[in-house]
Amino acid sequence: MNARHTVPPLALAAAVAALGATAIGIAVATAASQNPTNAQPGATSSWTQAKTPWGDPDLQGVWRYEATIPLERPARFEGRESLTDEEVKESQRRENEQAEQRLAGAEGAAVGRRSVAESPIRGNEYNSFWQDHGRPRQVYRQTSLVIDPKDGRLPYTPDAKKAEARATARYGVGPYESYLDPDTGERCLTDGVTALMWQGPNGGHNRIVQSPGYVTILHEEYLDRRIIPTDGRGHGSIRQWFGDAVGKWEGSTFVVDTINFIDRTNYEWASVFTRPSETLHIVERFTRTGADSMEYRITVQDPTTFEKPWTAVIPISRLSDATQIYEYACHEGNYAMTNLLAGGRADAAKRSR
Amino acid sequence: MRSSVVGVVVAVATLTVATACISRSGSNSSQAFQPARTSDGKPDLNGIWQALNTANFDIQAHAARPALAMMPAAPRSGVAGLVRATHVELPHPSVRLLGAVGGVPAGESVVEGGEIPYQPWAVAKKKENAEHWLERDPEIKCYMPGVPRATYMPFPFQILQGTDKIVMAYEFAGASRTIHLDKVPDSPAPTWMGWSRGRWDGDSLVVEVTDFNEETWFDRAGNFHSDQLHVTERYTPTSADHLLYEATIEDSKVFTRPWKIRMPLYRRLESGNKLLEYKCVEFVEELMYGQLGVVDPATGQKNK
Repeated sequence: MNARHTVPPLALAAAVAALGATAIGIAVATAASQNPTNAQPGATSSWTQAKTPWGDPDLQGVWRYEATIPLERPARFEGRESLTDEEVKESQRRENEQAEQRLAGAEGAAVGRRSVAESPIRGNEYNSFWQDHGRPRQVYRQTSLVIDPKDGRLPYTPDAKKAEARATARYGVGPYESYLDPDTGERCLTDGVTALMWQGPNGGHNRIVQSPGYVTILHEEYLDRRIIPTDGRGHGSIRQWFGDAVGKWEGSTFVVDTINFIDRTNYEWASVFTRPSETLHIVERFTRTGADSMEYRITVQDPTTFEKPWTAVIPISRLSDATQIYEYACHEGNYAMTNLLAGGRADAAKRSR
Repeated sequence: MRSSVVGVVVAVATLTVATACISRSGSNSSQAFQPARTSDGKPDLNGIWQALNTANFDIQAHAARPALAMMPAAPRSGVAGLVRATHVELPHPSVRLLGAVGGVPAGESVVEGGEIPYQPWAVAKKKENAEHWLERDPEIKCYMPGVPRATYMPFPFQILQGTDKIVMAYEFAGASRTIHLDKVPDSPAPTWMGWSRGRWDGDSLVVEVTDFNEETWFDRAGNFHSDQLHVTERYTPTSADHLLYEATIEDSKVFTRPWKIRMPLYRRLESGNKLLEYKCVEFVEELMYGQLGVVDPATGQKNK
């Protein structure tokens, strides 16, 4: 996982600066959340899948990714799909300690790193105020969200790998010559279909509301929204940022098939999630595993970017019923865009002197 | 023989029309119409709906005019002795190229009684807003439209009726509202789309909307409110494919008394219909930021 997936700095800062609603809201919501489950997914044995009044499996509630698992397997775990008992215990101890430090207001702790120096982004302190990790993050045995391929790494094509490296090198560095240069998050557009589900600290609350024939996901981030029909209709032909999604129930699993993405991101540094190519095909599978736990499994196929399909298994947690989704007025308060462009001009003037 | 059959048919038809007129003539019409029910017994409001009126141009009665942004014509010079009888306004240069596409269609008022009871200072502010429409209307910048304006934007919206939450999903700017039918705490901060608490009153969904900021407008005519805005909405099914939408507007900072708008909403009946994306943020970036960067993408030239 690239740092930018968890820390897009400018737009979010703008949103919170504009309203304060997100930051305040999350603080309230997570304080109300109870009983962090540090257990493995699977949870309670007495749990049974509830149904909606019209008979669909009930996935409703506010969900959020709270685990520590990186998207791709870090080098230090090469060849290992699972952590040992001792590693889980030690990692959870650190997470709990860090949560305490966050509550105590320790510098660096707020951004989910042990110190400011560990952060990959300059100006980290500036970013930290809108980030919210809530309760201690949960440690799972999984060493990467990617479970297929077996090495836990995204199977980029050589060209896509180079593009990804260039993008990473440029992130937070610029140059920023126009509004087309920041990434889609900083432009208050989106962070992309799947990333919204597992960007925990960035206002990563997602409310699922069901109605007959539809599952609707309201993402707090960017006010993004997916209205997924489950009435058996086929794909439409219109390309969109969020593609064209159709859903169906397979037993208790909600399966979403999405194609017809459009690439209007303009910039190379957009990640695979925010720069969907027109050949992208995502299949998502939502399966509740307990009262407060869900397995979110995505299979991504895109010959333009990947040599073969890959699959990630992402545990997400249900927050307490008191948790609300708040208004994420990103574009309405994107003062950061103006400031970023002013900074770009100042940089250009300095270079030309 | 034939003529008497025709007579009966006409009589029945007249009766039917008369009944229909009665049943659609007011908010009590729900007594005449029995709406479909959800599996938990509530009126079923699910569907994609749209207003078909000109309220987004101006919620009050308005004549047709050539453009949203106008400017006074230059004083006439030339033919001696010709005096212009009336003041003439022309389309503003920024919208002139749109020609007839940029015109404003006439429309009746959706405001009950026609008048908006502004306080004296607010009358002046509304006029000023209208004169500065191009710079001030939040719709132009793709900002969230607020309530009730979201309902009668020229875009569809979808009602997704869950059990204790109802989602109102608007196509414009991708704005959404969650209507809380269950008990929720107060909103922690002012918002663009308000904080919506709903309840069922007979066959009507009644939504109390509070916690607004003062940024949104009612229309393109500059009608406005303050952060004290309180909207009480009422959605009443009047046929399988119509809702009656009523909204009572209260704002003690701006108005002298509560006032009300009402309009029918129509179900979008196209098969396989769905709400599509209108992510207009990217549509307004050139307008808002084009001249702020090192380079303007519209011209490829360096900004001064």
